[in-house]
Amino acid sequence: MLTSKCMKGVNIGYPLKIKAVDLKESEVDFNPDFISRIIPKLDWTVLISAANSIGKNENLPENLLPEYEKNTEFLKRVHHVLLEIDVVNGELICPESGRKFPINNGIPNMILNEDEV
Amino acid sequence: MLLQTPVYNLKQFPNVYTPSEDSFLLLDTLEADMNNIIQINPDFIVEIGSGSGVIITALAAFLKNTRCFATDINPEACIATTTTSILNNTCVEACNMTFLTCFKENVFDIIVFNPPYVVTDSEEVFGNGVARAWAGGIDGCEVINQFLKSLPNLMSSKGICYLLLIKENNPQKIINILYGMKFNVNIVKQRKIPCEHLYVLKIYK
Repeated sequence: MLTSKCMKGVNIGYPLKIKAVDLKESEVDFNPDFISRIIPKLDWTVLISAANSIGKNENLPENLLPEYEKNTEFLKRVHHVLLEIDVVNGELICPESGRKFPINNGIPNMILNEDEV
Repeated sequence: MLLQTPVYNLKQFPNVYTPSEDSFLLLDTLEADMNNIIQINPDFIVEIGSGSGVIITALAAFLKNTRCFATDINPEACIATTTTSILNNTCVEACNMTFLTCFKENVFDIIVFNPPYVVTDSEEVFGNGVARAWAGGIDGCEVINQFLKSLPNLMSSKGICYLLLIKENNPQKIINILYGMKFNVNIVKQRKIPCEHLYVLKIYK
């Protein structure tokens, strides 16, 4: 969802790299319809590389499964990766400029300095 | 009552705006328009300048099958928002940023913004502390005008934005600007309280 494209000199700024220092896993009610609705809105490759970068791949396939909306087991794993894992402390890194955005207490600091906009 | 006012405790957050008449008018507006909100089946909802987090938390509590986000320029407000959402057993992802500058374009189905709308000197708009929650500069419109410029790239095609204004902001002028940007606009709620005449605009593509 986040990009650094608003920065001066950055063209795409997506996907941001994730460096996780602390992760938190929590339980969120599973709703298969909601997850099925969200999947087409995701860039699947980006999700997989994000999940890999924090070591939480949960055996998600490189390519999206056909008829995934009927596969409850698969939807549950997507649900877990998408909604139940939080980066509590770490940083997001702009793929072009290398600018780091710190994450503290689960809140990314995406405030840019005047000379960066 | 569909939308319960969330419980909150701002004792630890002296630099965060305490929910007031304007916040409650927005909650009332969202409640009154809830059938329309449900009808567009929103996936992603965001509140800009979430402060205490009561509005986005009320939405997150009622609209279970959505992802709720919040931004605030004040890091203390981001923590207050997260704290309020946890206190009410909801999930709101807070992010410290200006407007929605670092989100991908056109992803949000619902945008709620209670901007700093009070008429002040321009310098106060860029001050520190809680003043940034209300200081709107000339005509109270300096932050609102910046927001309007970015609006075409924020909402999904079915998106709705709820924007709170006061009379001094000249709502009709803002509506005309939005018409010029090819948006549909209605005044969906207004309320006179001592010293302020509040309006809520509903803006959609």
